[in-house]
Amino acid sequence: MIVVEDVHKRYQTEHGAGKWVLQGVSFTIQPRVSVGLVGRNGAGKSTLLRLIGGVDVPNRGRIERRCRVSWPMGFGGGLQGSLSGRQNAKFVARVHGHESDIGDRLVYVADFAELGEAFDEPVKTYSSGMKSRLQFALSLAFDFDVYISDEVTSAGDASFRAKAAAAFKNLAGRAGLIMVSHDENTLHQFCSAGIWLNDGRAHWFDDIDDALKAYKESIAA
Amino acid sequence: MDNTRSSVAITLSVWKALFLREAISRVSGARAAWLWLLLEPVAHLTILMVIFSTIRRRIMPGFDFVLFLAIGILGFNLFRYSAMRSMAAISANRALFAYRQVKAVDVVVVRAFLEGVIQLFVGLVTFAGLSLAGFDVVPHDPLTVITVFALFWLFGTGIGLMLSVGDTLVPEIGKVAHLVFMPLYFLSGVLFSPAMLAPGLRELLLLNPLMQGLELLRAAFASGYHVVAGIDIYYLTAFTFASLFFGLALHVRFAPRLVMQ
Repeated sequence: MIVVEDVHKRYQTEHGAGKWVLQGVSFTIQPRVSVGLVGRNGAGKSTLLRLIGGVDVPNRGRIERRCRVSWPMGFGGGLQGSLSGRQNAKFVARVHGHESDIGDRLVYVADFAELGEAFDEPVKTYSSGMKSRLQFALSLAFDFDVYISDEVTSAGDASFRAKAAAAFKNLAGRAGLIMVSHDENTLHQFCSAGIWLNDGRAHWFDDIDDALKAYKESIAA
Repeated sequence: MDNTRSSVAITLSVWKALFLREAISRVSGARAAWLWLLLEPVAHLTILMVIFSTIRRRIMPGFDFVLFLAIGILGFNLFRYSAMRSMAAISANRALFAYRQVKAVDVVVVRAFLEGVIQLFVGLVTFAGLSLAGFDVVPHDPLTVITVFALFWLFGTGIGLMLSVGDTLVPEIGKVAHLVFMPLYFLSGVLFSPAMLAPGLRELLLLNPLMQGLELLRAAFASGYHVVAGIDIYYLTAFTFASLFFGLALHVRFAPRLVMQ
């Protein structure tokens, strides 16, 4: 269960505090619920994901994670360019306390990412598609109660996307998912509930369709 | 459903992961990176020896000048690298804060620890080399040598903890720190002994805990070394613990600001 209570967030800019991105966002996500985040560009979707993932902290309010939450997947960070894919994977495994079964995790990551020999090459030589495949495989290699995905399903070529979608579907039974996507079909496919972010506030919908409808009406108006 | 790990377990696994990762990039990052780690102090020492043996033929009473310089360089480098490398730790590892288990203080502490290990290794190799070349490098008071080197390392860590917060919140602090380290090298007595200085200046420069530490090291290496008055190991110790305390306090106070973007 994830509890978000009265969260306010703004970023520090070169010229002092910026404008509020989130202003009093509150909601509770029950276990094993898949939620899609919708809203226009700059509405604070990625910011909210980063806050839930614990990568950033809110200026006001609090976020409680009473379960294992993944890091925000597919946001480009978390890989060191000078190290190989395997070394990066080892690091992530160790940070998440999988020292004892590190071998199994590595086999899984290598298998899923399908990088072949590139797995032992420095990450900075990877194409962006290869990078996101590695990141995606990494996040699936560990058991979380909630997975956070920022447009991750749009990564890679067609065959990898299909594989990623199948893997996400598999998760649905045992874990929750919080995702941002601009693709309506993706949201329909994976999410049951929806959150619409508008003017720094969050509106919860039990049905993702209602969230999308509210979002579209706000654009049309 | 609360199957999370304890904070201590998380921190320990993060430290281990960070250490292995930092060590790999430090030692195998560039071509023959490990060789350069060793060559740096050796080249430094060689250049200084050439300069000093040609320009000024002054011999330190009761002390081999090569050993004198080697102690100064290794001691000062231990402090400088611990401080400077850990100062840059937060900005260099920003990508890692994507994993919320990794805190700003973790990357700084791990870097300082790795730097200590590297400098220990460099020091041992340098002294072994000097010993092979016929210099008498066995200290007559090894316990003091170990203590002072440990203090230099911890002092560097403490300064690094403080500077890492300063550099992240106010980038100008990092630039000023880089500027300050150059004169600090000369003011710490790497190249000279305070016994060579005029009395008024000597007391002033002895306010620098690094200068005091280097004198303690030299005295611990050679029993015949003349130590000036006013040198106390507790002076350096006090600075060390004050800097560690203040550095950790800054990290506690500004923890959210350090990983925030």
